[in-house]
Amino acid sequence: MTTHLGMMALFSLLVSVVFATLGRDDPAEQLKFGARLFGALVVGGYLLGWILYGVFGRA
Amino acid sequence: MPPSPRHSPTSERSGPQSATDLNPVLTCLVAWLIPGGAHLLHGHARKAAVLGGALLAMFVVGIAAGGRLFPLQGTDILVLLAAVAQWALFLPRVIAGLAGFGAGAVTAASYEYGNTFLIAAGLLNTLVLLDAYDLAAHANRKRSS
Repeated sequence: MTTHLGMMALFSLLVSVVFATLGRDDPAEQLKFGARLFGALVVGGYLLGWILYGVFGRA
Repeated sequence: MPPSPRHSPTSERSGPQSATDLNPVLTCLVAWLIPGGAHLLHGHARKAAVLGGALLAMFVVGIAAGGRLFPLQGTDILVLLAAVAQWALFLPRVIAGLAGFGAGAVTAASYEYGNTFLIAAGLLNTLVLLDAYDLAAHANRKRSS
């Protein structure tokens, strides 16, 4: 869990848990919303990382 | 699909309902002091456990990753803002400070990750505090109507 991706995934997981718990009341809805949010954060962060690498990383 | 109504009466409510535990100011104070404490006070035990667990986990990971507990000083605005965010999680911040954690390992690769976890944990607790205030205000409105 000491890799960049691992830390980002852990951060995304914990943030998703908090937002899902606050944003929905029904446990099933919380799980669905939390999973979607977690996926969006991880995939979004991964894509953003590659975009930033493409823009600034090759200089 | 429309979002589910917030704070609808659910079967998980089991805590006491007195004049004091529904006071919004007291609720906010408890929410600031103890992560998840206000939700527990209002009978939302499961929510309290999840929120408290997640926020404490964020704080502990932040400390373990070498994050720094920033001092409340006005010489650098970014340090001040980070400190205010960290103090939003009162009890863990006090305990970690008294125990001597959070010196900040600037040379560690995970230093900025640690800071991010610590700051985010505090900021998320302000959202939890607002949610707890909402719970108290809603309960008060319901009682007075």
